[in-house]
Amino acid sequence: MKGSNFSYLVKQGVVSVWHNRMMSFASFCILMVSLLFICLAVLFSLDIGIIIGNIEDTNQIIVFVEKETPEPELAHIRDVLDSFDYTASVDYITPDKAWEMMQDEFNESIAGVFDAIDEHMMPHTFTVSLNDITKTAEAAERFRIINYVEKVNTPFDFVNFLISIRTTFTVIGIAILIALVAVCIVIIYNTARTSVFARRTHISIMKHVGATNAFIRFPFFIEGMFIGVIAGAVSWYLTKITYESVVTLFASDIMLLDVLGINNIIGFYEINWLVLGANCLAGAFLGAVGTVFSMGKHLKV
Amino acid sequence: MVELKNVDVHYKEGGVDALNDVNLKIYDGEFVFIVGSSGAGKSTLLKLLTREKVPTSGRVFVNGYNLSGLRSGKIPIFRRSIGMIFQDFRLIPNLTVYENVAFVLRVTDRSSRYIRQRVPYVLNLVRLNEKARAYPTQLSGGEQQRVAIARAFASDPGLIIADEPTGNIDPELSYEIVELLKDINKCGTTVIMVTHEHDLVKYFGGRIINLKKGSVDFDDYIGGSNEGQ
Ligand SMILES: Nc1ncnc2c1ncn2[C@@H]1O[C@H](COP(=O)(O)OP(=O)(O)OP(=O)(O)O)[C@@H](O)[C@H]1O
Ligand SMILES: [Mg+2]
Repeated sequence: MKGSNFSYLVKQGVVSVWHNRMMSFASFCILMVSLLFICLAVLFSLDIGIIIGNIEDTNQIIVFVEKETPEPELAHIRDVLDSFDYTASVDYITPDKAWEMMQDEFNESIAGVFDAIDEHMMPHTFTVSLNDITKTAEAAERFRIINYVEKVNTPFDFVNFLISIRTTFTVIGIAILIALVAVCIVIIYNTARTSVFARRTHISIMKHVGATNAFIRFPFFIEGMFIGVIAGAVSWYLTKITYESVVTLFASDIMLLDVLGINNIIGFYEINWLVLGANCLAGAFLGAVGTVFSMGKHLKV
Repeated sequence: MVELKNVDVHYKEGGVDALNDVNLKIYDGEFVFIVGSSGAGKSTLLKLLTREKVPTSGRVFVNGYNLSGLRSGKIPIFRRSIGMIFQDFRLIPNLTVYENVAFVLRVTDRSSRYIRQRVPYVLNLVRLNEKARAYPTQLSGGEQQRVAIARAFASDPGLIIADEPTGNIDPELSYEIVELLKDINKCGTTVIMVTHEHDLVKYFGGRIINLKKGSVDFDDYIGGSNEGQ
């Protein structure tokens, strides 16, 4: 295709977006909302996955044992903890070590707390990793009745909660996505039809003077692509704003940050360009392909 | 060269036999009037020549293309070898006169250099250079049809097909339109024109094909009253 005719056709496509602005706007909106929805769903689901992974990796069942427990009893407790099928490994943390770890963890944020406590108040601690998370509740129950055991912490409960909300949201998300896709198809189809109808004289004359179908489709292709790219860019921006404000909301809670390991979740700056690129490409693709597909049967003259 | 061999066209909707066993040869450089009463099959015949329709049976050859066997991918290429003029002009309202003509050259992917010299040339031929920047709605019917003629001729086709090109314009201006087609014909382009206006036919004369109920009723040359002028 000659350059001048190429730019003429591109201009035709872009001008048509304006001539056909009601339907163009509808297409733009539905594409934008769909892309925004997909982006946020993917990002948050990846994040929840990361959080679950963090908790599963770093947290074990923590068994606190009374300070006064004699040495041989500690060895015995260790053996008991180790004897269960679902126990993967057992680590012992001395009160001194626990004290150090605690100081490290909180050194800046709440230094004043340490005035009130010292290392002599720390219990003996066992951390038990399980090879089967589903046995968490059962294990906690068994550990609790061992002699000298003071307290058992099971962070897995929270993991199960996260997994269950993720499952729920996945199901809801897929349902919404299907609805969005359906609306997308209807709207893009009608936009293309309106656009073809508005230019039916153009098209019939083009057919009569020997334009190929590819040539006739080209402005429509550009029109769809143009709408799609803009929808992609806007959805990128909205994704960025939404995602960053949600993360900021959670990140302002330092405890939550620590417990969930939120520090490891995806920072938008890392994927800024990726999201922008993917959105524009997906928008362009959906817009262009949708438009060209929808106009297929209107081309027969 | 246009040739129809034993052509039948049957419209399923309405069960109409629009053309029955039509045999016809039109040689390169001819100027042919096709006449006949309403419903005789004139438009149907032209649609066969532009490959808008295929015959129910029989064969159609135009400009060396066997239209019955033409693959749909080749139709655009074939259509570039013909120019079409319609009763209702079919100009694009939101394009200027210049753009309406340039449009067909863009469609057939001519270079912008060629377009810049060809468009003024054909507009000059129909004496509409002055109106190049006007829009179709700012022109009279006769002027609009002249734009359409310029457009049909722009791609320098071997054959121009006109379906009642004078049907929507004042009878006095009809002569001017046919004169233009005659001028184009003198450059070597074959012209086939359907018309209802017997006065025009009598005035210009030449080869006349009369269709009657889908068959060729008369096909011969008559002398025109303008001859010797
Ligand atoms: N698309 C169609 N479907 C069904 N029947 C058709 C169709 N087009 C034309 N016909 C019929 O075929 C016959 C010939 O029609 P055609 O349009 O060729 O006539 P015509 O000679 O051009 O008439 P007119 O002078 O009024 O334009 C008519 O009886 C018409 O009703
Ligand atoms: Mg007709």
